[in-house]
Amino acid sequence: MGALKEIRVALTGNPNAGKSSLFNVLTGSHQRVGNFPGVTIEKHEGYLDYQDSRITVVDLPGTYSLTPYSPEEIVTRRYIIDEKPDVVVNVLDGTNLERNLLLTAQLMEMEVELLVALNMIDEVEEKGISIDFDQLEKLLGCHIVPTSARRQQGLEELLDHIVHISDGRIEISKNKMTFSPVIESAVEKIAGMLRHERELDSSNHRWMAVKLLENDREVYSLVRQYPVWVKVELALQEAITECERLHRTDPEALITEDRYAFVRGAMQECVRQPKASRATVSDYIDMIVLNRVLGLPVFFVVVWAIFQLTFTLGAPLMAGLEFVFSLFARSLEPLLPNAMLKSIIVDGIIAGVGSVVVYLPNIVLLFIGLSFLEASGYMARAAFVIDKVMHRFGLHGKSFIPMVTGFGCSIPAIMATRTLKSRSDRLATIMTIPFMSCGAKLPVYVLLAGAFFPPAMAANVMFGIYLLGIVVGLWTAWMLKSTVLKSDSEPFVMELPPYRWPTLASVVFQARMKALMYLKKAGTLILLAVMAIWAASNFPHSQEIDAVLAREKSRIEASAAPQDRKSVELHQITTRAQAAQLEYSLAGRSGKIIEPLIRPIGFDWRIGISLVTGVVSKEVVVSTLGTIFSIGKSDQGTAGLSSILRNDPGFSKATALSLMVFVLLYIPCLASLGVMKKEVGSWKPVLMYTGYVLAIAWSASFITYRLALIML
Amino acid sequence: MKLSELKAGDRAEITVVAAEPAVRRRLMDMGLIRGTEFQVLRFAPLGDPIEIGYKGLLLTMRLKEAENITVEKLPEQEPQDQAGGVFSMMRFFGRR
Repeated sequence: MGALKEIRVALTGNPNAGKSSLFNVLTGSHQRVGNFPGVTIEKHEGYLDYQDSRITVVDLPGTYSLTPYSPEEIVTRRYIIDEKPDVVVNVLDGTNLERNLLLTAQLMEMEVELLVALNMIDEVEEKGISIDFDQLEKLLGCHIVPTSARRQQGLEELLDHIVHISDGRIEISKNKMTFSPVIESAVEKIAGMLRHERELDSSNHRWMAVKLLENDREVYSLVRQYPVWVKVELALQEAITECERLHRTDPEALITEDRYAFVRGAMQECVRQPKASRATVSDYIDMIVLNRVLGLPVFFVVVWAIFQLTFTLGAPLMAGLEFVFSLFARSLEPLLPNAMLKSIIVDGIIAGVGSVVVYLPNIVLLFIGLSFLEASGYMARAAFVIDKVMHRFGLHGKSFIPMVTGFGCSIPAIMATRTLKSRSDRLATIMTIPFMSCGAKLPVYVLLAGAFFPPAMAANVMFGIYLLGIVVGLWTAWMLKSTVLKSDSEPFVMELPPYRWPTLASVVFQARMKALMYLKKAGTLILLAVMAIWAASNFPHSQEIDAVLAREKSRIEASAAPQDRKSVELHQITTRAQAAQLEYSLAGRSGKIIEPLIRPIGFDWRIGISLVTGVVSKEVVVSTLGTIFSIGKSDQGTAGLSSILRNDPGFSKATALSLMVFVLLYIPCLASLGVMKKEVGSWKPVLMYTGYVLAIAWSASFITYRLALIML
Repeated sequence: MKLSELKAGDRAEITVVAAEPAVRRRLMDMGLIRGTEFQVLRFAPLGDPIEIGYKGLLLTMRLKEAENITVEKLPEQEPQDQAGGVFSMMRFFGRR
């Protein structure tokens, strides 16, 4: 076998046209997800071997058009122009041809090697739509292959055409989009001017002329650099005046109208649709789901179901994983000779890997739920229903579901913001999520509220904490959107796709991709951070304490006390030694260093240490408090931590409240910071955000503490 | 009149789409150009955004965006297109 011939194919099409499903069935598991340069838009690339060719397929983002207004459209344009793929496959939703063909018209203008995949052909046939393929091919000037990604129909024919087109074996004459005479003459004139500009490197002057008439800021700023601009600008002015005189509109609108006229002409000539006189199933579902009265209840039930799926179903799986890891650690422990090595492997590496992996069930379950919502068509409707509330805080309707997920765990929630198209909406939502009090913070509230308040009051206190988180989160979103993220808000002009049953394969596929992405991209970062905190809480290690511990241990062993008394004493002395080691370590010392900073909000250095270690994960605050507060309380060693805290002079109701507020608001756990960095794309905003949450947490705790001191 | 001033069930034709460039272009690319006929299907449960239907397409937009679209209201007619069935049923449920 000789070397495979390389063919590069780009997939384009409207959102919901089935582009990604087609991509998945074509490339199977040979896929790679990256980002397009400079933007956080996912670039899915895959390949397949067909006959004697290796076909590399790039799945470009779904777009309705090719304007320079949205990053998706810019990415698509740039890719087609700069990377010059051998074949551009335009995937059409066959049941919605008119709107889909608008993009086709624009691809024709770009004069690329175009191939149309008329997708969802099974639905087209079911609906009784008949299409004159030959005539449509003539009009579009390219081959059309009917496909169904869902039923895996037409794939081979599509691949055959791709191979033929790249070989130059196409037997179809290209057709040109023709505009109104005013536009055509202006295009001719401007294209001619551009052609004479020798410095200007472009293969498609006509396309550039059209874009100039469309007020395209990207092409504008390019052409403006050349001397020919002086003449071009005059010609543009002239075209605008003519357009206004003859058509009472501007060139941009007229060009869009011309494209639609072309598309409608093609539709009339080639497509026969049965008169749809009755409402479709979709319409009936919408009557309930989007109903004035029922809309919101349905919405909340769906959100509740997703939350339950992710966290209630996820909890036993998570516990199972934790169990497996601890079992593994315990069975490994006796095999390791020395205490330090034991600690490194068991508490450092295994615990570190475990802390990454335990989130997997949540992530997988959430994305099964979300991709079901997305593919079924409900996601857009959910955004429609709740948008008014979210918009009040500068957010998008689609921000709601990620935010609610944040009450379970920030990590899948932050990953879920991918459903938001605009970067500023996404950033604002991501930065709101950590304030939605997650499941790991709950043990802290339970401990503190339970220790310092009677049961009935404790519930109120916890409710208040959750409420505070929501208020601060929404306030943060509002503040961000009215200052730094003010620009580039996605206009809320959104299509509601018809309801469809998602295929199991695509749902599973999505969930698998997310899981892999989390493990690969965020996992390593989280692992490193968790191990760093482990090192900080174990080093430096005091030999002296070890020696004292060993001495005390042998003294107890040698004493005449009964066996059960001995083991209690042994346990106490070991805990005390652990606490002393923690105090001696880097983490312990930093607790003491930050004490002056946290004094005003009611914390001493012991709480400081638990806040430092709590950065790994918020429930660690509880276990660290347990270790550190057992110091010198050996006579109460068996009593619960809550009574120890209650009787500690350094701890009051005010301290407890202040600590709950601080834990709610301060630095998100390392894992979510890692995911945040991954989604935001750089460290700078993440670090700035960390500074912001610390300031907010400190101020809120200060107010809480001072008020509580006065009132309680 | 403005698109945002229509009521659920109203039919209208678009005359001018004027908005800031990005929004305007988006609206036009979705097929809202001079002469497009559509029907207001409903408002979201909280009164905003608005949903319109045309050519088998369902489009939603905020009232803020809908304010930029000038339309000409069409006379009421017996429902005969896709959305018609929905409206007869909506009347049945008594919510206009």
